Amino acid sequence: MNGKPKIGVYVCHCGTNIAGVVDVEEVVKFASTLPDVVIARNYSYMCSDPGQALITDDIEKLGLNRVVVASCSPRMHEPTFRKTLLSVDLNPYFLEMANIREQCSWVHEDPIAATEKAKRIVEAAVVKARRLEALDVKEVDVEPSCLVIGAGIAGIQAALDIADAGFKVYLVEKNPSVGGHMIQLDKTFPTLDCSACILTPKMVDVANHPNIELMTYSQVEEIGGYIGNFDIKVRKKSRFVDMDKCTGCGDCAEACRMAGRFPNEFDEGIGMRGAIYLPFPQAVPAKYTIDKENCLFLTKGKCGESPKCQEACQAKAINFELEDEIVEFKVGTIIVATGYDVFDARKKPEYAYGVYDNVLTALEFERLVNASGPTGGQIIMLERGKKKKKKEGEEAEPPRVPESITFIQCVGSRDKSVGNEYCSRVCCMYTAKLAHLVKDKLHDCEVTVFYMDVRAFGKGFEEFYDRVRREGVRYIRGNPSEIFKRGDKLVVKAEDTLTSTPLEHETDMVVLSVGLVPRSDNREIIDLLKLSQSSDLFYLEAHPKLRPVDTASDGIFLAGVCQGPKDIPDAVAQAKGAASAAMIPMASGKVKVEAQTSVVNEETCRGCGFCVQVCPYSAIELVEVNRMGWPVKVARVNEALCKGCGACAAACLSGSIQQRSFKDLQLLPQIQALGVK
Amino acid sequence: MAEKTDFEPNIVAFLCNWCSYAGADLAGTSRIHYPPNVRVIRVMCSGRVNPLFVMNALQQGADGVLISGCHPGDCHYMQGNYYARRRFNLMRNFLEYLGVEPERVRMSWVSASEGAKWKEVIEEVVNGVKAVGPMDMFKRRQLNW
Amino acid sequence: MVDIEKLREIAREIISRDDVRQLIGYRQGTYGFRARPAFVTDPGEVDKLIFSPACVNNLATYITLEERLPVPRGQEPDLRKVAVMVKGCDSRALVQQMEEKAYERERILVLGIPCTGVVDMDKVEKRFPGVLARGEIVLEGDKFLLTYDGKEEEVAKGELLADKCTRCRYPTPLVYDQLLDEEVARFADDDYADVEALEKRSAEEKWAYWEEKFSRCIRCYSCRNVCPMCYCEDCVLDRLNPQWMRRSVDVSENTAYHIARAYHLAGRCIQCGECQRVCPVDIPLMELNRKFYKDVEELYDYEPGTNAEAPPLLSTFKVDDREDFIM
Repeated sequence: MNGKPKIGVYVCHCGTNIAGVVDVEEVVKFASTLPDVVIARNYSYMCSDPGQALITDDIEKLGLNRVVVASCSPRMHEPTFRKTLLSVDLNPYFLEMANIREQCSWVHEDPIAATEKAKRIVEAAVVKARRLEALDVKEVDVEPSCLVIGAGIAGIQAALDIADAGFKVYLVEKNPSVGGHMIQLDKTFPTLDCSACILTPKMVDVANHPNIELMTYSQVEEIGGYIGNFDIKVRKKSRFVDMDKCTGCGDCAEACRMAGRFPNEFDEGIGMRGAIYLPFPQAVPAKYTIDKENCLFLTKGKCGESPKCQEACQAKAINFELEDEIVEFKVGTIIVATGYDVFDARKKPEYAYGVYDNVLTALEFERLVNASGPTGGQIIMLERGKKKKKKEGEEAEPPRVPESITFIQCVGSRDKSVGNEYCSRVCCMYTAKLAHLVKDKLHDCEVTVFYMDVRAFGKGFEEFYDRVRREGVRYIRGNPSEIFKRGDKLVVKAEDTLTSTPLEHETDMVVLSVGLVPRSDNREIIDLLKLSQSSDLFYLEAHPKLRPVDTASDGIFLAGVCQGPKDIPDAVAQAKGAASAAMIPMASGKVKVEAQTSVVNEETCRGCGFCVQVCPYSAIELVEVNRMGWPVKVARVNEALCKGCGACAAACLSGSIQQRSFKDLQLLPQIQALGVK
Repeated sequence: MAEKTDFEPNIVAFLCNWCSYAGADLAGTSRIHYPPNVRVIRVMCSGRVNPLFVMNALQQGADGVLISGCHPGDCHYMQGNYYARRRFNLMRNFLEYLGVEPERVRMSWVSASEGAKWKEVIEEVVNGVKAVGPMDMFKRRQLNW
Repeated sequence: MVDIEKLREIAREIISRDDVRQLIGYRQGTYGFRARPAFVTDPGEVDKLIFSPACVNNLATYITLEERLPVPRGQEPDLRKVAVMVKGCDSRALVQQMEEKAYERERILVLGIPCTGVVDMDKVEKRFPGVLARGEIVLEGDKFLLTYDGKEEEVAKGELLADKCTRCRYPTPLVYDQLLDEEVARFADDDYADVEALEKRSAEEKWAYWEEKFSRCIRCYSCRNVCPMCYCEDCVLDRLNPQWMRRSVDVSENTAYHIARAYHLAGRCIQCGECQRVCPVDIPLMELNRKFYKDVEELYDYEPGTNAEAPPLLSTFKVDDREDFIM
């Protein structure tokens, strides 16, 4: 099948992308002098239909059996040209690409040097092509099921789409309820839909959907296998509440001796909860959870005579003996939708967050304005950490309402000093939205926004920003340098950069428009799935333009802010994209697996097991074979497990294990071709 | 040592497909310009690179060799770069012991998002090799027949 | 001192066993007081066995070197044990071979010789030219006793001792079934003074040093063939496709050969020094091997041939391995 090499070399102009720097004619002339090259051509766009037709025509008419395409990166068009070969029944692994664009014409200015380098790159590709071998394109079956990690809006949407298409979904959420950050929000910009109103129906849907197995308060512990056949292990943390018995009535929470003692994470610590709690009234599932760090019975072994919650629960759902449960299952694909953290405002000490009670993060403020929040949506001055000691007969002081509120944008975004160079994309608009909500609820409240630039780029954004300014919100261009207290007022020190006027702005409350940052526990998922991170530390997509929902690992997709800051519609759109992408292999039921796997020459293998030790996938084992009557151990590769990294080939002293398409006898000629000046 | 002033070194680089090759591609996509002295061989993982490739490249006319992989912990194949790190540390020390300047045998971690770092690496390698001049220690005799 | 009679008695017992195929030991050479390997398969042959400071060979080599002829149809392969005499250094070859799964422990019977050092024949020849051909040598206390032409000479041990013995950390075998003498305590260590001295020299000086050495190489491959760790069925350096190095004898190909040979022993060389002993052109091969040995020990706290259960050095890693050399 391999035959004597007859090589065609196709040099692409890529318009002027390559030809603008590299002398394409010269490269073609040079290529045609190389051994086994039968034809060398150039064309404006090799990847276009006529370009590909040039190749297929030559394969058919000239009997080419190896093809070298000198164009862009193989990471770009290798799959395209492999298909070209396949279309005329030539094994797709008889293709070698010479990257003369990304790694030559785009990075070098001197045409002579670039042309010289292009020639070397082409020669290295030709000498490798001479030794290429046909590889089997193998397929494996794909489990028609998907694991979705994270049940915020992105995870929920992806899970619903896949489940609606008829595939099984395992939706795993770390928190006691689904909903993510979106369910914490009051209204959504720019349309002012109520966040909970549009999200809760979807939350209920994921809980009730026959194709979705929802696992809340759960964490993925192990992921093994590969596309089509991932082995998943999930830990369902014990809530110490029997999920089947709990009716969600809340008697337990009222009874808890510790009720109202601990900051409720869902309310960003503005509201309080007990040791047994439901994070918020619309939580899905509507089942209570005991916080084992704070429960008296679980920490001290004693809660009065007997635990109050247990006494109160008529359904007898509370069981302190319940343990974590480990669930194992197989899926064909995985969608990562783990979301984000908000920037920790303490990293900007000049804003005195954590020092003054009424310096809030925007997410805290969301809970404050939220009708389902701890104040029932009343915007009031906060007295944090103070226990209200009511004296007998004394009326509680009525809460004070702020007369002025000041927003500061870009806290933790576009800020090299905290390592976040990027724009968080949502803060300008959520600030405008929150400013509007203040104006809506407190007409006379003076609202000021300090900003660097207002980025109102989305559909309806500019109009909304305009409306908010018309409502009387004052925008001052300037990045405040300090917040301090004068009397009972907060003072924001800044410079109005439009008028170059330093100013000290007095206010009752400051809201920091914190940016979105990668989750602090990202590492767990990275280690489980071997994901890469981009320089902003969000998960890295396979291609920034063309594969924005894929990862470098087949069968693993990204949705939502875990890939980079985005607003709700963008997160939903990406989730739908990830769902569609995940459904492709599930719908076809089969997927092609790595062909460039390792192969052992059992004649020369000495069975030392270095490769067995090195292989990260346990794809190699020593087996006993008969060598001229003698029992000897040799290495053998399980090709379904081999991912084609080639670490074994470098570990082998006798050169007996080799990686297909990257064999020593294919790489050494490349070294030679590149070495010669 | 030969004349160093207008010496343009020839450097063979082994790049892992997932991080460093992608990083080099990104440098291209971002039109980051760097010296043309480096010629790349793509492998799937830095763990595939046999340290004897270094010896072979230096023998075949390369003035320097660069091996580049994913940052520790980021290897697409989980461990390949860790193996590479051990192998090349030893090989680099050994070659230095024979008289091969360490500037000629370099290793870097360049991620898929580090197009700018790729340029820095290239410049550092090229300048380092320029400083030590052409590799003429055990260059293979050219046979002409 | 190994009691020769006791040695032969034990050997006779072993070779008489049904489950032992052959015993590899030492016998008198045909030339003066050199010793050579003995391959004993018959109890009648055990009286040839000796042990003396002239028994320099590392016999572990022969376990992996033995050619396995095709087993005729209808016959079973002879899988009986092989017994082997090993000194401390030699025993480390066995340990390393077993670490690399060359064979299983039960395939060998080890006669361990606690070793007080062997003689360097080149040093003897230099000091007493021609005497090698007609004499005898024994070690008594801290002196070598040479008998030749009816004369007796006493030489301080250090003067004729093989270099490897002056750096030996494991004089008593690390693996054995029977020990032929009392254990010998470590009496030497490697301070790498020569390696460090070379490390400190300039690149030009280093290469000048090695270029001269490598240019002498005649590519006889003795160093490879005698090495107990070089036992691939088909040495990668011999192959034509792919061809790692040409066969021509010139400084380029020779250098490539010596880099490849030394690298293949990185984390595997057990310091028996056989390569350097057999080199006909006196290339200081142990200076190459010991460079790797030193780095491996310093960087990875790893000593080859001391623990058969350890994972092979280059097939493992630690997350915090040094990487200050990486850009």
